Amino acid sequence: MLVAGAAAVAGIALVRAARSAPPNPDGWFAVTVETEPSRLTGPDRPDELARLSERHEVRIKPAPGGRGSEIAVREADGETRDRVRKLKQLLETGEVLLVDQQPEGHRTPLGRVGVPAFRHLTRKGVR
Amino acid sequence: MRALCWTGVNELSVENVPDPGLLNRQDAVVKVTASSTCGSDLHLLDGYVPTMMAGDVLGHEFVGEVVETGPDVRERRVGERVTVCSIIGCGRCHYCKEGLWSLCDNSNPNPGFLETSNGHAGAAIFGYSHALGGFAGSHAEYVRVPYADVNAFPVPENVPDASAVFASDAVPTGWMGADLGEVGPGDVVAVWGCGGVGQMATLASLRMGADRVIAIDRFPERLAMAAEMGADVLDYGDVDVLEALKELTGGRGPDVCIEAVGMESHGTGAQYAYDRVKHALRLQTDRGLSLRQAIHACRKGGVVSVLGVYLGVVDKFPMGAVMNKGLTLRGAQQHGHRYIPMILDRMSKGEIDASPLLTHPMRLEDGSRGYELFKKKQDGCVRAVFRP
Ligand SMILES: NC(=O)c1ccc[n+]([C@@H]2O[C@H](COP(=O)([O-])OP(=O)(O)OC[C@H]3O[C@@H](n4cnc5c(N)ncnc54)[C@H](O)[C@@H]3O)[C@@H](O)[C@H]2O)c1
Ligand SMILES: [Zn+2]
Ligand SMILES: [Zn+2]
Repeated sequence: MLVAGAAAVAGIALVRAARSAPPNPDGWFAVTVETEPSRLTGPDRPDELARLSERHEVRIKPAPGGRGSEIAVREADGETRDRVRKLKQLLETGEVLLVDQQPEGHRTPLGRVGVPAFRHLTRKGVR
Repeated sequence: MRALCWTGVNELSVENVPDPGLLNRQDAVVKVTASSTCGSDLHLLDGYVPTMMAGDVLGHEFVGEVVETGPDVRERRVGERVTVCSIIGCGRCHYCKEGLWSLCDNSNPNPGFLETSNGHAGAAIFGYSHALGGFAGSHAEYVRVPYADVNAFPVPENVPDASAVFASDAVPTGWMGADLGEVGPGDVVAVWGCGGVGQMATLASLRMGADRVIAIDRFPERLAMAAEMGADVLDYGDVDVLEALKELTGGRGPDVCIEAVGMESHGTGAQYAYDRVKHALRLQTDRGLSLRQAIHACRKGGVVSVLGVYLGVVDKFPMGAVMNKGLTLRGAQQHGHRYIPMILDRMSKGEIDASPLLTHPMRLEDGSRGYELFKKKQDGCVRAVFRP
């Protein structure tokens, strides 16, 4: 179960997260990735980036101050934002970090539904 | 395996839970040999950190032995004794590369909640709610450590678990507090809170050459521990802290004020009563008494270094003092990776001994009792440490 009281805060954030997907439907969802723009624009750019470009307008720019590249994806819904974050993880660390098969104690019926639901919502995220 | 789980506000239970396995290629599994209670857990226990779920395994300050490594782990070896940083970094994002490990972009797979509340999400922390990653904690026989090469640090043979365990969290946090304050010779440093974190901030400030450290708390045994290291102490139950600090610093105020109390700050008088009620009703997420005091006390142009954990909004924040006194306000979850190798090295050379913090070695099965002693500061408890 979500903590009493804190549940209010959590609840608001979750509802907001769910409602605001996306907050501005025409807006851009952007992440900065520690990699050269050439690695993202050339013919051997990552497959996932190619797939994203099929459905979305994608903009790649060098980040100022030698901070790599900015990837911006237009009209990114929750699923797409999750994909963009995973792409960043993959490019920077070589794999997508998993937390779904963790040791856990007894879950209440609400917890059994709540944990995966929370993960789902908070990965789609908001901006 | 056995693990200490959070089951509700101020409720814990030791349960049988599945063993962790390798989920990613850069993971290791560590057999925990000592895992400590920390003031940060009290905020979870008391229900102030949202997104805890009954069944979550607690604990983030630990030492153990590597028992399994994923195929992409290059540095760590099975059989190695390691202190694992409580904060999880990836080692390759911009922030990790800059040494700002608690701001890691990649270790928290559940960033949406914090993005909503804070604008951006930071690193994940072991056993610290689903909003901070949802990683199972270390109060268990085994724990899975992601990005093991950067998060697990080999412990020199002559450093016992009783000291090495605190190289995970309390020592680097205290060290960072002094470092963020750029403490140096000639400085007078005041430290609010003499828990494990405040003790280590005191120690770090002295090691960095502070002229004088003034440690503030109300528990005599904690004040005595700080005095033992060479600090002057103030019991805030006895004296008016603001008056006393002025007097002790020739009217200037401390050059660096380290706040090591956090959002459940205790106090005396009307302001405390007001904070308590608003906190209980969740009209404010954090009680800011010691933070306000640190800002008020700080000398003009000084640094306030915030180690205590805050979650959301603090009521009656003295912005006027920050602006008009030209203060620098700094804070962070600890950037442990920056300090841990140096700390373990100093422990090995006998320059740092954190073991006095370990007042209560206990079995994991006695986890509930350990937290009760720690939370209520009973029996002189500074940190209860479980040996699973
Ligand atoms: N920044 C980080 O990465 C990090 C890491 C570890 C802990 N923390 C935080 O640091 C804080 C302290 O942790 P700890 O393990 O030392 O906890 P602790 O509970 O052992 O110690 C807190 C101390 O603060 C004292 N205190 C309460 N109100 C006070 C006041 N008004 N003035 C002076 N002292 C007061 C208490 O008496 C107690 O001794 C917590 O908020 C914890 O969450 C932060
Ligand atoms: Zn901690
Ligand atoms: Zn990182």
